[in-house]
Amino acid sequence: MKLQDPRPSKWQLFRIWASVGLQSFGGGASTTLLIQRAFIEKHNWLSIEEFTHLWNLCVITPGINLVALTVLIGRKLGGVWGIVVSLAGLLLPSATITCLLAATFKQIENQAVVQAVLRGVIPATGAIMLLVGWNFALPIIRRGHKEGVLYLLGSSVVIIACALAIILLKISVIIIIPGAAFLGGLFFSPKPASPLSTKEEQGEKQ
Amino acid sequence: MINPFIYFLLFLKASLFSTGGFSNLPSLHQDLIANGWAKESYFGQSIAIGQISPGPNGLWVISLGYFTFGYAGAFLALIAITLPALLVLVVSAGYIRIEHRTWVQGAMYGVSLAVIGLLLSVVWTILHQPGVDWKGLLIAAGAFGLALSRKVNILIILGLAGLVGYLVYR
Repeated sequence: MKLQDPRPSKWQLFRIWASVGLQSFGGGASTTLLIQRAFIEKHNWLSIEEFTHLWNLCVITPGINLVALTVLIGRKLGGVWGIVVSLAGLLLPSATITCLLAATFKQIENQAVVQAVLRGVIPATGAIMLLVGWNFALPIIRRGHKEGVLYLLGSSVVIIACALAIILLKISVIIIIPGAAFLGGLFFSPKPASPLSTKEEQGEKQ
Repeated sequence: MINPFIYFLLFLKASLFSTGGFSNLPSLHQDLIANGWAKESYFGQSIAIGQISPGPNGLWVISLGYFTFGYAGAFLALIAITLPALLVLVVSAGYIRIEHRTWVQGAMYGVSLAVIGLLLSVVWTILHQPGVDWKGLLIAAGAFGLALSRKVNILIILGLAGLVGYLVYR
């Protein structure tokens, strides 16, 4: 196994994150891959196990998972200043470009050509969003195969109920997420009989 | 007009009650439309720009900020999506203590179901905009098929959709 590279300087950390941010197009998947290549494969600052653990923490943190991951890796490699330069590196260059693209778009949006192109692009963004949802649904479907039809059915009901509550009833997201967490804790917690979780379960029941 | 403080709080709230780059959309959509601070068309446009620009896909909010409130809006949006990520420090300190409790796992599962429901409502919002007709839905279906195959880069899919739009609607 390759030896770990020496800890990066603040400037080096900034540059690595900036290059991750600027190279990632089309969102999450490519960014995650670039981070793995830079921090695990190239410099060996993290193991894949460590990376996976950090990622799991990010998934349950509010907001953008990748930004949270940047915070954790930045802290590991450079403390508080590591967090600051990592966030600045990931976000500032790419946010500036995003903002300039939006400004450019405002200048030309009334041209007929732009309008026509946009009427094609916008439905495609809807499709991409649907794919993001589909990717999130895959592990649930896989788990449903293991746990049975009732589990899958219950999960689908919650998903559809959440979607309809927003679309038709215009219920605020602030109510929906804690509501779903509550339902999940009530109906989808692992069974006490499960051999792995028996111990914690008893501790929990007091 | 726009109260910068309330505006920032709306973005912060949307980001705090979301997970992943897009699940803040329904909340922003509800609030900005209700206040009359955003047009329906801004949302699809912002996501399109977010997709063609570099960085994590959550940066679509930056263009929404720009469309609704200029450079100040873009800056406030950037701060609003950055701050909640710092909570991961609290989470990493506390999670070890509760991760094995079964209700935590159940609740996390419930949240992941809600996230999918939220995304479906986003898809609905985008495909329900004025200007999306049955041809638009066909474009969406084609784009979904291409994206699902994983053989075609997202940027190329958006480019193709733009080309089809140009040929069909010009």
